[in-house]
Amino acid sequence: MTDSSTQRPPAAPLHARRVVVTGMGAICAVGNDVPAVWEAIRSGRSGIAPITRFDATGFETTFAGEVKDFDPAALLGRKEHRRLDRYSQLAIVAAREAIAQSGLDVAADPTRVGVLIGSAMGGMETLEAGVETVVTQGPKRVSPFFMPMMLPNMASGNVAIDLGAKGPNVATVSACASSAHAIGESLQMIRDGRADVIVAGGSEAPVTRMGVAGFNAMGALSTRNDDPAGASRPFDAGRDGFVLAEGAAVIVMEELQHALDRGATILGEVRGYATTDDANHMVQPGPGGEGIARAMDLALADAGLAPTAIQYINAHGTSTQLNEKLETEGMKKTFGEHAYQIPLSSTKSMTGHLLGTAGSLEAVITLCAMRDGILPPTINQVTPDPDCDLDCIPNVARAVQADYAMSNSMGFGGHNVSLIFGAAGTIPASR
Amino acid sequence: MQTSRTTGRRVVVTGMGAVSALGLDLPSTWAALIAGECGIAPITRFDATGFPTTFAAEVKGFDPTVLGRKEHRRMDRVTQFAVVAAREAVAMARAETAAAPERIAVIVGTAMGGIETYSENVRVLMEHGPRRISPFAVPMAIPNMAPGCVAIDLGAKGPNFAIASSFTGGANAILEGARMILDGRADIAVAGGAEAPITAIVSAGFAAMGALSDRNDDPQHAVKPFDLHRNGCVLGEGSAMLVLEEREAAIARGATILAEVAGGANTTDAFHQVALPDDGEGLVQAMRDALAEAGLTPDTVGYVNAHGTGTEMNDRVEAGAIRSVFGRRTPPVSSTKAATGHTLGAAGALEAVIAIQALRTGLLPPTRNHAADDPEIGLDVIPNVAREARIAAAMSNSMGFGGHNTVLVFTDPV
Repeated sequence: MTDSSTQRPPAAPLHARRVVVTGMGAICAVGNDVPAVWEAIRSGRSGIAPITRFDATGFETTFAGEVKDFDPAALLGRKEHRRLDRYSQLAIVAAREAIAQSGLDVAADPTRVGVLIGSAMGGMETLEAGVETVVTQGPKRVSPFFMPMMLPNMASGNVAIDLGAKGPNVATVSACASSAHAIGESLQMIRDGRADVIVAGGSEAPVTRMGVAGFNAMGALSTRNDDPAGASRPFDAGRDGFVLAEGAAVIVMEELQHALDRGATILGEVRGYATTDDANHMVQPGPGGEGIARAMDLALADAGLAPTAIQYINAHGTSTQLNEKLETEGMKKTFGEHAYQIPLSSTKSMTGHLLGTAGSLEAVITLCAMRDGILPPTINQVTPDPDCDLDCIPNVARAVQADYAMSNSMGFGGHNVSLIFGAAGTIPASR
Repeated sequence: MQTSRTTGRRVVVTGMGAVSALGLDLPSTWAALIAGECGIAPITRFDATGFPTTFAAEVKGFDPTVLGRKEHRRMDRVTQFAVVAAREAVAMARAETAAAPERIAVIVGTAMGGIETYSENVRVLMEHGPRRISPFAVPMAIPNMAPGCVAIDLGAKGPNFAIASSFTGGANAILEGARMILDGRADIAVAGGAEAPITAIVSAGFAAMGALSDRNDDPQHAVKPFDLHRNGCVLGEGSAMLVLEEREAAIARGATILAEVAGGANTTDAFHQVALPDDGEGLVQAMRDALAEAGLTPDTVGYVNAHGTGTEMNDRVEAGAIRSVFGRRTPPVSSTKAATGHTLGAAGALEAVIAIQALRTGLLPPTRNHAADDPEIGLDVIPNVAREARIAAAMSNSMGFGGHNTVLVFTDPV
């Protein structure tokens, strides 16, 4: 469905209520806030290193993308941080950064502020420690905080408590598309008038024994133990699996007029969203990239944009053989020959794969890329793969001012999400 | 929900399915509920010796091999329940070919997904090391595999995800499914909830919080929602799924319309991880928002299926919130958790199905085990015996750890 005759994207929005981004927060292996994360990403720096969260001796994979120098006691309180699983701690820190940047006073109208923090797994570390306690010490030694720390909705709940946000609140759970769904469903909620502001994103802390052993058992992880920083190589012929990583990323999504009325700085627009399912196989993407292509087609229609309007794609690009082959086929289905003209990258080459956080972290990176006119690279490109022959911005960032960009996410279970963002300059100053 | 302002669409329910401790399908579950039966018994899913609570509401006689001799082994119990309930709902709706596969959404609420698979694999890892983990451990454990496998089973290629919002998940899934149809993002949504939490770790975890009744000598009478002597909830398992459909399309294809999804709302307390604010402010707001959306005044609601877990705090706060919304003329209210147990992420969907059945049949299900009125409750809880009452609208409340409140309002589809 390429329409090469349309060089200028249509300016008229399809939706009466447009949704803009007024704040961003992120914490992951390459940095503990958005400025640090973006500086590392545009410089092509990897955050992958040997595992320190547990003793990985004897595991097939011994490296991961861990958050470094994170002091939850100092940030969240000496007592409070102990009642939060790591994934909730990371979510609160990212949400605070995003809200601070937005300048929003949540207390001014708390029931109109929602929170949607997606997570693939929730409090894994808590769960594993709890099971160990039951097995070794018996059921009566389990902590009363076990349940609220473990549940996958608690990052969303805890962020709401921390910010005082009383509007709609759920965790979307769709494996590695969880936070892309959170952003997309938040877009729909604000368009529908169910909230004016939603703090949306994802959080994950999967660098645990079960996280590593479980994905190793599937053969899903890179085992390049002698070269952690070179292990995540999406689209490269030598890719041998993804690199497990942790972190949180959150954006403040706000109805355009609401943002303008309070004089907020607008960082970009969440312009389009669509989601599909392969209904094909529990863990393998659908044949020919049909499901992700359908999501991209529908997202373009939702955004009211021609395929040629898209000037950058942040790909899912996990660094597994099958993902990139099928994702490339999907992009060619949607964009036709024009696919070769669109620079795309997988920033998982630097951050690792943050599972449920991936979509929102990549949304933050995409918004930074459009703001600064710099497209982030796919690092670790050594040997081109003929099956992945699109322009993946190998190794070095590129100066391109993109007005519209797309971010794709896919998850076990057949979930596909495509999000389209507009640069701040594409938004009228008032309606 | 009423009518979407932009699309003019309305959402109706055309099919329902249930798997619960009361029965393996909707008819048997409903018949047992109306008869005042109880699905609670000593735990068989794991050896509960030494556990503070040794009983639960387990699904009995469930044969997962109906899902395929090989296939069922690759699904956690939570996913098995969801697929079976979805099949029943779709068959009842005769919806197999009612919409293009790309226009069928699947949304499933679950509090914790494949917890049995996850906890069992942690034990394997502890005892035998990381290389003995099954390649199916991750896909079976992740909470989104319930909607993922329902989609594979039905061939549904539309929007698909799980919602985790602890015990409001099933209600939120119905709410989001209905929104998708209103927005024109799907023509059919298969939406509901599923949970299979009866494991050592979840039982120990809830017991540690003091949330479970420990009347181990009398499981059938242990859970006493709204009763003066209530002392906790009991874990339950199962699934309930609904087929939601755009009203005009359902009429055009001659579908039987069971109810209209008239309104819904989701609010957050932002108060405490697990405790409730005394005034139940968030639930009050959700009930009011849901009624406003349905365009209904409180006096038109003929039945409320309460969250009613049977814990001291929940029932007290919820009763107060219901009185705040309905004033002195509160409608009959029952908690069916005394019969089904607390099915966590499935509860909101199972109780939506029950509320719709009440609307359809004119029978209001009872609150079992009611013996002593609690002066702090002050509600007509339909004690012990089902009641006949023609009603025009039914409400279902759900509340969850994390401060979630979700309210759904269903109306007679005339």
